[in-house]
Amino acid sequence: MVRMTTTATAAGTPVVGFDQVSKVYGNVRAVDGLTLALHPGETVALLGPNGAGKSTTLDLLLGLRNPDGGTVQVFGTTPRQAIVAGRVGAMLQSGGLMDEVTVAELVKLACDLHPRPYQVRDVLARAGIAQIADRKVNKLSGGQSQRVRFALATAGDSDLIVLDEPTTGMDVSARQAFWATMREQADQGRTVLFATHYLEEADAIADRVLVLHRGRLLADGTAAEIKAKAGARRVAFDLEGPIDEAPLRALPFLTSIDISGQTVRIQSTDADATVHALYGLGVYPRNLEVAGLGLEQAFVAITEAEEAKQS
Amino acid sequence: MNSLIKLELTRALRNRRFLFFSVIYPSVIFLLVSNQTGTVDGTGLSVAKYVMVSMASFGALTAVLMGNSERIAKEREGGWVRQLRLTPLPGRGYVLAKTASAAVVSLPSIVMVFLVAAAVKDVRLETWQWFALTGAIWAGSLVFAALGVAIGYLASGDAVRPITMIVYFGLSILGGLWMPSSTFPTWLQDIAKWLPTHAYAALGRAIEQSQAPHTQDIAILVAFFLLFAGGAAWLYRKDTLKA
Repeated sequence: MVRMTTTATAAGTPVVGFDQVSKVYGNVRAVDGLTLALHPGETVALLGPNGAGKSTTLDLLLGLRNPDGGTVQVFGTTPRQAIVAGRVGAMLQSGGLMDEVTVAELVKLACDLHPRPYQVRDVLARAGIAQIADRKVNKLSGGQSQRVRFALATAGDSDLIVLDEPTTGMDVSARQAFWATMREQADQGRTVLFATHYLEEADAIADRVLVLHRGRLLADGTAAEIKAKAGARRVAFDLEGPIDEAPLRALPFLTSIDISGQTVRIQSTDADATVHALYGLGVYPRNLEVAGLGLEQAFVAITEAEEAKQS
Repeated sequence: MNSLIKLELTRALRNRRFLFFSVIYPSVIFLLVSNQTGTVDGTGLSVAKYVMVSMASFGALTAVLMGNSERIAKEREGGWVRQLRLTPLPGRGYVLAKTASAAVVSLPSIVMVFLVAAAVKDVRLETWQWFALTGAIWAGSLVFAALGVAIGYLASGDAVRPITMIVYFGLSILGGLWMPSSTFPTWLQDIAKWLPTHAYAALGRAIEQSQAPHTQDIAILVAFFLLFAGGAAWLYRKDTLKA
């Protein structure tokens, strides 16, 4: 593998680089001219509804499929070379397991195959499956299987961890425990990329969120930036007497307004400025509430805006 | 890759049903059908000697064909093959590990038939013949190991069992492993003599008759091996592109 020598270039070598990558199935463009770069140490969420192209993107990144156009690089080489060098650990959504062997045997296999393996005992403990180590793989619950897949993805010292909807099938406490483990991985300086449709996960865990829609990158930023982009604070208040709509609709930073009875609900990209201007209108809002939108609503808003643009 | 072979083997040895059918079952059939005395027409071999080679070949065929085709088809569908592609294991490693572990199971099934034949039916051969037989039947089973891999990559998880069964019984019966193909009507004999199983058993019988194996039988086995291995390689590559 070629190591960059100049500092400027080394800093610029991304962990993952997609350049105008496309993948077509029949007449569906699953991934459409995708360009993105992941940097060392980032924890990145790949967010999107079903069919957005998340799994295809991860397949391309892991070399499971070849792109129809563009190039995919991982640590400056091909995905396969990066995997052979043990730099990538991955957990697939559809990652089948070998039947009729025990959890410990399967994890030992993953450790044996990795160029820089951890101790089997440690991998089992970290994935929280030490107590089911002697159980047959085909006799596990969905959440336990996910933990085994996680153990396979973290059997050695990899620099990038890729997870496709990792908490599917886990209950709430298992999910929390899972993300705590994942944070440890990230805190050790690893780059983590995970696809999810649990939007609160992206919000809570990721430094950076990539919103994918119809195979294209719709938004790229921190969870806070993405909320802001979608008009992400909600202002609600009651007014007495007849309501004069026109000045309300003209409020600054307003992205939508809904008036029902005496109650006004506004979405604003800058709630402070909107509320300030509201008082400037000379009205007296009662029961004023300002609340952040969850990433879910922000995401829905971005997606709707995109669909409105296209139709 | 050694660790994958070891794990495949551990798993095969744990599967009692598979072990029964590949290691014990051929010897049981041997005992059931080798009761006649006299020789088999046109071979000069006693019934026991003739059936011994048939059943040793049948046992090896069972071990390499049955386990692999079904496992590969199921593991392909279930995603284990994909999961392995996320490890540094080379792409061929999966198929090689399957074939290697099948070969380890097929050896005892061959030896078991020989032991039973020698102990119970008093079959006697020269020392070199025992070793040559074991080696020829063991090496010949690679042809069917390749066939098992090809079926595993061709069939879906639901269809793999019936397809394997049809191929397995078709090749066993038509190839003359269960009864001498000389008992078939002539038109069927004409078909049977081109089957890889027929050539496979003929290899062993030639050794029992202290003859060099017939060139035609070796040519048939090599041709089928190239066909099955080439087919398996092509199907494997196709499956890889499909992810």
